[in-house]
Parts: sequence; structure tokens; C-alpha cells
Amino acid sequence: MNATLSAQPIPTPPDFSVTWERAEDALLFWQPDPLHFPEPMHPLEFDCAARGFACGFNGAAEANDVPIRAQLRRINSYFFQCFHPPMVPHEELMAMAQRFEQRAGALMGRLGERWNSEQLPEIQRNLAAMRSFDLQGASLTDLIKHWDRTVAFVERTWYIHFDLALPMLLAMSMFNDMYADLFGAENALDAYRLLQGFDNKSLETDRALWALSRTARTIPFVREVLTWSAEHEVVPLLEKRADGQAFLRDLHAFLAEYGRRSDTFAIIGVPSWIEDPTPVIKNLRDYVNRDDYDAMAEMQRLAAEREQLIAETRERLHGYPQPVVGQFEFFLKAAQEATVLQEDHNFWLDQRSLYEVRCVALEFGRRFAEAGVIGQADDVFYLTIDEVRQTAETLPWMDRQQRVAERKAEMDHFRHIMPPAAVGTPPPEAPPDNPLFRAITRFFGGPIEPASEPHMLRGNAGSAGVVRGVAKVVRSLAEASKLRQGDILVTATTAPPWTPLFATAAAIVTDAGGILSHCAVIAREYRIPAVVGTGMATTLIRDGQIIEVDGGAGIVRLVDEL
Amino acid sequence: MKVLWLGDIDSRDPAHVGGKVANLSQLAAEYRVPPGFCLPASVLDHASHGQFPSPLCRALADAYDALAAQSGHAMPPVAVRSSAADEDGSTDSFAGQHATYLNIRGMDALVDAVQRCWASARTAQALDYRRQRGLATENIRLAVLIQHLIVADVSAVAFSTNPVTGNRNEIVINANWGLGESIVGGLVTPDTYIADKLDLGRIKHQIAAKRRMTVAYGDGTREVDVPRSLCAKPALTVAQVRAIAHLAQSLEQRMGWPVDVECAYRADHLYLLQCRPITTLAMPAMALPHEQPVVRAA
Repeated sequence: MNATLSAQPIPTPPDFSVTWERAEDALLFWQPDPLHFPEPMHPLEFDCAARGFACGFNGAAEANDVPIRAQLRRINSYFFQCFHPPMVPHEELMAMAQRFEQRAGALMGRLGERWNSEQLPEIQRNLAAMRSFDLQGASLTDLIKHWDRTVAFVERTWYIHFDLALPMLLAMSMFNDMYADLFGAENALDAYRLLQGFDNKSLETDRALWALSRTARTIPFVREVLTWSAEHEVVPLLEKRADGQAFLRDLHAFLAEYGRRSDTFAIIGVPSWIEDPTPVIKNLRDYVNRDDYDAMAEMQRLAAEREQLIAETRERLHGYPQPVVGQFEFFLKAAQEATVLQEDHNFWLDQRSLYEVRCVALEFGRRFAEAGVIGQADDVFYLTIDEVRQTAETLPWMDRQQRVAERKAEMDHFRHIMPPAAVGTPPPEAPPDNPLFRAITRFFGGPIEPASEPHMLRGNAGSAGVVRGVAKVVRSLAEASKLRQGDILVTATTAPPWTPLFATAAAIVTDAGGILSHCAVIAREYRIPAVVGTGMATTLIRDGQIIEVDGGAGIVRLVDEL
Repeated sequence: MKVLWLGDIDSRDPAHVGGKVANLSQLAAEYRVPPGFCLPASVLDHASHGQFPSPLCRALADAYDALAAQSGHAMPPVAVRSSAADEDGSTDSFAGQHATYLNIRGMDALVDAVQRCWASARTAQALDYRRQRGLATENIRLAVLIQHLIVADVSAVAFSTNPVTGNRNEIVINANWGLGESIVGGLVTPDTYIADKLDLGRIKHQIAAKRRMTVAYGDGTREVDVPRSLCAKPALTVAQVRAIAHLAQSLEQRMGWPVDVECAYRADHLYLLQCRPITTLAMPAMALPHEQPVVRAA
């Protein structure tokens, strides 16, 4: 009965009707990824992700016997993904799952070691090779050859990403399971306090930005400009005076090291901080008049608390069998390493590495615009990988302006339409309750219980604590300046470049994400309450509304409606 | 007034120290039996209800200190068990009748546990059990064993003869994580391993989803969940199964009767905790899986 019912295709909302390019896709279960890509995605960005997933996700899954595969589709300009078991006979699937259990243990036990001795060195080598290519000086022929290398670089980047990310998420999730089994599942967040207080690249970036604000504070002219000028006027004003120029040199040094990131998880199609430092200026403005704050000391305090809690936990396990204690210690170490890598992989792979792809694409865009086949350089992001190559190979004969205009219009149209939670056909059976699916659910966020009271929103517990404050609905970093210290940040999702705002916000509420999502990880490090994956916070909560966030319970209350 | 240590020649007389202590004492020299001592029935009989005379307390304290020195713990955890003269006989197991106190630390707790253990032989339930079996309900001779507690990684109960089928060529082993109480108390369906006595390398096994276990916690024990990553893992390695089977076989030869053995692994050392005759060959409490019998009736 259920099987028959569930085989029915999911009805699509009238403003989101789906035309399937491949008829068989209609039989699969597709979900958007509002955690990473809440906005429509440029075709080039999507194409790189699709190549990346085909090679990276499925390649890493195959190499490690992970019994799961992923496919991507761009549906009405949104990113949609489908996770499904590999298409192999049932017995082979069972055998694969068994091999994965062995393999996963080995991978989780060596997360940090593999990252430091294999993955990070390779990323840095690949990055150096990419950056050594003279984009502006290259002939068009060489640039086209470099495009193929760039695509291979994208594929390799995603391969490393998932070779790391699958065991990384699994380690955090299995530690969560282990802790819940040993000490009860009521306070899921307690487990994560044993993982806090380790440094990572997101926190390092935030500290560097804070340090920059301390420099700005000591130079009266810079402090004045940051305090009183509009964001876009800051750099031109600073350029006018020597002390301003000295500060700009510091700003550029910061951007050179930390600016190869955009405001979102989509890096390729969106300007980086180097190209548009407005988010940095906004944060500096917000920070410059604040009292000194020692982030390192705060981290050490968290670390000391962590060690104290670990010691207490070990004491509680004193009379437990050694195999249990051994497993606890194994998952504790793996989850601690994973928590750091959750941020660091993002910095090196998703941001730094994919930023290089943007640079290459923009060089094509510059030449295409010059030849008049597109209107401006960043129109190149509306083309696919193959279209970029064809356009370059036939330059200047293949005019792309029409195609770009159509795709721009499509993206603009769908920007204001929220994609449905799923399209296609529901899977015949519920996903299996195994460690891998639990990890994926904890990352993306599981189904949310309906609210039990009026004027209440439920989400996933992300970071403990209860805070009441003024909600500020921030849809992009461009809107971030309305967030004042003590306000509650309400947003669709937070990519790593948003973390400087965590020092300003009193609490965070997101539409997307689970207890293992980036937002939850960093909120815990900042010790601010977070409720993630509410599904509808940005729709239901109004700017300026007083709300109460209970991060441990995963509940948001709309106080002034009560 | 003095206590009797396991292994002492004086602690081998069942009439004096009870069957459990007598058996363990006999074996202490040849097998890895955790160190311990007993307060014989004759000593305890002088103690009135609830009050121990000071010489007895002093003897207990001295012995506990000696155990502390041996074990290297300031306050070693101990198990306090009864050992009745007519307990662990070949017909009556007394299983579960007398109280056992595990993970007792420090003198105050020890005195309390010994008193309660001694009193447990006189509870209405214990007396009923005795009446049903036609045993004495007056002048019960009960010794109390105080033994260093092995904080077990895995505990096992082994039968040198299959107690369900009576097959003398089979050694049946039940095992679970943690202390043995979860097996003897029927808290879980434990793993079952059946070794062929003629070839200990031939092992049949039935790995159970062991959801609960007993662990030493605070000043006692606690039943807790087994982490799900360990539930379905075999509690024993093949080498450990073989070592336990070998132990059961050797004890059967040594004692001259089919044995029911409690033992435990801690850090790869196998400890012998108890050895008694198999009192029945159709034990209902024996946890052989019902749905999928490992041993099919011939």
C-alpha cells in the first residue's frame, strides 16, 4: 500500500514546474541544498559542482567502498541532489557495506594524519601549479589548454573534499552516537563540548580581521573614516592620506591571505573579498569601536573547559570495559580532528581552491567581453564548461549574449521563488538507519517536529544557551550592517565568510543545517546559542521582532506575538 | 581472629568455608584467580545481627589493607559473595539466592556489604529456597568471600558439557561486555560460542545484539546501554574462545565433574572467578538463542 502510494511523483508547486531533461530523473528523489546553495546557481558554478560530484563524491565513495552515490541536477537554476545506493545487486551492496565498516574505521583513525601528510600538501601543490600559470600573458591556445587542466583541478579538488568529508562527518556523528549511548541522548550538545576550543582556519580568519580592527582603532583617521563613512567611500578616503594608505596595505595583506573567499558557498560565480572587500569593511566598522577582546584567551578558556570535561568523562568510564573505553577514545580523537577539518577543508578546498577556478573563468570572460561575444567579463559564469571552451576555440565567432540573457532572466525569475523541499518521486523505502545516513542527516539537518505551541519555531539544536533579542533577517552579507551587537542573526545559512558576524550576533537562527553543519560548529566555538535548520525562519521572522532562541532545545519563540 | 586467604590449605574445607571458596582455593595455585580472603562461617557465627565485634573488624581491615598492598590500589574494588557450606553443591546451585555486592571500596562499605551478604542467607526468600530443597533452615553455615574485583572487559560463563543437550563433547560459552552479572542475571541474550572438545579450534557461534551490560560504577554497579558500535561485535575473539574452552576442559579434568565456570577477561588476561558443578543439564536460564538454535536436537 505504502509502496504504491510512495511511487507517485511529488506534485510540484505551480511556480516551480519541472521539465525533466532525462525522463528517468523523474523517478528519482531530488532535494535542494539550502545549507550550501540557498540561491540560484550560475551554470558554470553548477557545472563545476556536477563534474566535481561525479568524480569527487562518487569517486571517493567508490574508492572507499561507501555504499552511497550522488547525482546533481540544476532544476530551475537551483542546485538539487539525489543520494542513492550504488546500482549493484543486493548481495554486492551488503558486501560493500561490510567493507566500508572496516575501511571507515581506518579512515576515521587517520583523519588528521592524512590531512597533514597527504591531503593538505597535495592541495597546496595543486594550488601552486594553478597560480604559477600566467593568465593574462597566456595565448588563447594556452589558455584553452589551461581550461582542461582547470577542470581536472576542479575534479581533483572535489575528490579530496569528499575523500575527507565522508569520514569526517562520520567521525563526528559516530562520536555523537557513542556519547548518546553512554550518557543518554537528552543533551546532545554536551558531546560537542568535548570537541571545543581547537583552532581552525575560520577562527584564524576572524582573529586576523579582529587584529586589523585593533590596528584601525589606533589610527584616529582610519577609525574616523570607518565609523562615519559609507562602506563604498572607505577605501577611496583612506587612499587620500599616508596613514590611510598604510592601513590599506595591512588590509591588502589580510585579503591576500584570507580574501580568496566569497560570501557564500558558491565561490566561482560570486565576487571574492579581494575583488570586493565590502564585507571586510563592514566588519571592521562594526569592530573598530568595540573594546578589546582576547579571542586567543577565550579559545584557551574553551580548551581548558574541554579538558576538564574530558577528564570527568573518563572518570565516569572508569569501570567500563576497555573495548568501550577504547572506542570512546577513538571517536573522541577522530571527532576532535574532524571538527577542525570541518572548517579547514572549507578554507583550503571550497574557498581557496575554487577561487582559482573563478580567476581562470574571469580571464576567459575578459577576453570574451573584449571580443563582444558576451556583455561583460562576469557573464562567463552563465556558460557551461564546454560552452566556455567552444566559445574560446571559435573566438570571436560564437555570440553568447542571447544565451547569457536568457539564463540571467531565469536566475532572476527564480531568485524570488523558494524551491520545494523535494521534486521527483519519493524513494520506495525510508533511508536506512545506519551511521552514514545519520551523519548526512546531522549535517544537512533532519526532519523537524512541528511546533507544539503557537508563535514557536522548531529547528535542530546547534549550540546551547537561551538568548532574547532583536531579530535581524540578513539574506546576504551586503545586508549585514543592520546587525548590531546583541541582535539575533536570522539567515538562510552561513557560509564560513559569515563567521566574523558571530562576534556581533547574540544568537543565530538558520533555515538550513544540522548539528554538524558549519554554522553550528562555529556557533559553539563562539559560545552563542544557535537553532539551525528551522526551514522557515527567514520567512516567518520579521526584521526587528523580539525573539527568544533556546539553542539546546532547538526552539525559537516569537516573543512579541505572545 | 584471622581471615582465610584463597589458596590457603585451611580454606579448602567446604564445611568451613563453603563450596565456592573451597573450590576456588583448590584452584588458586594453578589458575589465575583474583586474590581474596574469606570470613569463615565459624567466625561470622559469633557476630550478632548487624554488629561485628572489633577483633573481626580489625581482621577485616588488616586483610583489606593486605589486598590493597597486593593490588597497588589504595582502596581496591572488591566483590563480596556468599559461600554457604551447602551452596554450589552438585545438586543445588543457589544461583541468585544470596546477595552479591560488587565494586565495594573502602572499609565502611566493606563491613556493610559483608553484614548484608551474611544476612541475605536468612531472608524469607532464601529460607523458602532452602525449605523447597529440604535443606537446613537453622544453623546455616555461611562464609563470606571478599575478592579483588576484576573490572571485566568481557565476562563469560562456560559449561564443560552442553547443559541443554547434555552433549559431553561440547563446551558452551556465553559472553557479554562488562561484568558477568548481565549474563547470570539474564539481562541480555549474550553471545553463544560452542567449541568442540575434541578440536577446540572448531567453534560455532551465535553473535547476539547485546544491548545492555553491567559495569562498575561509583560504589557499585550499573546496567547501561552498550554503544551501538559494539552491540553486534563478538565479545570474544577466536583465541579467547579457545582459551576459555581450554580452561573449562582443564577444570573438568581437574575436578572430575562437568563444570560451570565464571571467568572474565581484563586487558587480555583471563581470570577464573568461579567453578562449580553443573547442577542441572536442562537449565532454563541458559541463554541459547530460541529463534535460531545453534545446536539442533539430534
